[in-house]
Amino acid sequence: MIGYLPGRSPLHRAHPYTTLALAGALLLGAFALTQPREVWLLVAAAAVFSAVGGVLRASARTALLLSLPIWVLLFVLHGLLGADPRTTVGPVALSVPGMARALVLGGRVTAIVLGFLTALATVSPHRLVEAMTAGGVPFGRTFLLASTLTVLPRMRERATQILEAQQCRGLRLGGSPLARLRALGPLALPLVLGALAEVDEQVLALDARGAGSAARRTALDPPADSAAQRALRAALLVLVIAAYAWKFWSMRG
Amino acid sequence: MTLRDLVLVRLGVAVNLVIGQIVAALLLPVYLDSVGTILVAALIGPRAALTAGLVSQVLNAVISGNFSWLPFALVQVVIALYAAAAARLGLFRRLATAVPAGVGMGFLAAACSAPISFFLFGGVTAGGVTVVTTVLRALGAPLGVAVAAASFSTDLLDKAIACALVCLLLRSLPRTLAARFPALAA
Repeated sequence: MIGYLPGRSPLHRAHPYTTLALAGALLLGAFALTQPREVWLLVAAAAVFSAVGGVLRASARTALLLSLPIWVLLFVLHGLLGADPRTTVGPVALSVPGMARALVLGGRVTAIVLGFLTALATVSPHRLVEAMTAGGVPFGRTFLLASTLTVLPRMRERATQILEAQQCRGLRLGGSPLARLRALGPLALPLVLGALAEVDEQVLALDARGAGSAARRTALDPPADSAAQRALRAALLVLVIAAYAWKFWSMRG
Repeated sequence: MTLRDLVLVRLGVAVNLVIGQIVAALLLPVYLDSVGTILVAALIGPRAALTAGLVSQVLNAVISGNFSWLPFALVQVVIALYAAAAARLGLFRRLATAVPAGVGMGFLAAACSAPISFFLFGGVTAGGVTVVTTVLRALGAPLGVAVAAASFSTDLLDKAIACALVCLLLRSLPRTLAARFPALAA
């Protein structure tokens, strides 16, 4: 997986909302386009987006790794098991409409994954939180997105500890499906009950830091926004609406 | 939402994202990635459950890197609302009612996820479901039927187990801890 990669590219310097809007437009655009050529133009656009961010190599490698299993399944489900007519390529007879559909679906997934991996690599989580705070987003939403990611490693570690402790006490993880299902309780219950018991302690700690206050917070170092970036975000919205209008108009025709 | 609700929603999201680790260790053919959402629905209510479900979907995409599954957020909305209604009716108090409630939830979840999977992704989504779809397609079932059958078979089992687990969790809550959740007394 890919995370934030520090850099000085235009995407790194852009307001986080602009980069996310570009990735969001790729996602929505991918579902609006239905022809292989259109979808592959979108994949090219995602690659340009990634190159502008200076993260094309890392993002493209991860995007290929993530979309490869989907490509394989698409090839089997649509290429091999798709409808007639068929064309013979070497030893296999491939479905012509199935392969066209697989190209659209695979390109769609590749464009979305590449676009968002680029956003992940170029949007600093700290700058995003600052932008949200400066934009007046309620504390609760920033807290949920930012703090849950920090809680996860601790929770995963606790799950591993419980797993090992219960195995030491004789819990068997193998056997029949019913036996494995029975083992779910002794593993999941301590994990969730333990976390529930800590809730009030965490609430007190957060309250002591003023997290419960409804007052609007001041961002310490808000990312700079500009009229040009706001215009770009508005233009992307118009573009996405136009793509869907075109799609539904074509469907009617 | 109060600060306490936010902390509980965060817990629900963490449970949704971490429980897969236990499921993988047990090699169970299910995901159980909505246990946290159902738990939050039972402990707080629909709004908090909705938030837990949607945040789980977004963070799951951030962690896995695969953002193409974001349209399945609609399924999380359905699960959250259904779980809150089921909790209000007291269906998670006994296993005998929690399991049928889970089957109903699985039915609704599959009815939502199958069209998304078919129309947006051509039936190719997460590993296990797609394997079932491919096997059914190889046996001659039309693609739409194969996608629907795979979604229903996996979701019915998954949500029935998830609801049973939430029922066990609520029954295992020590009395002092349970007393802190007014929704449980309702």
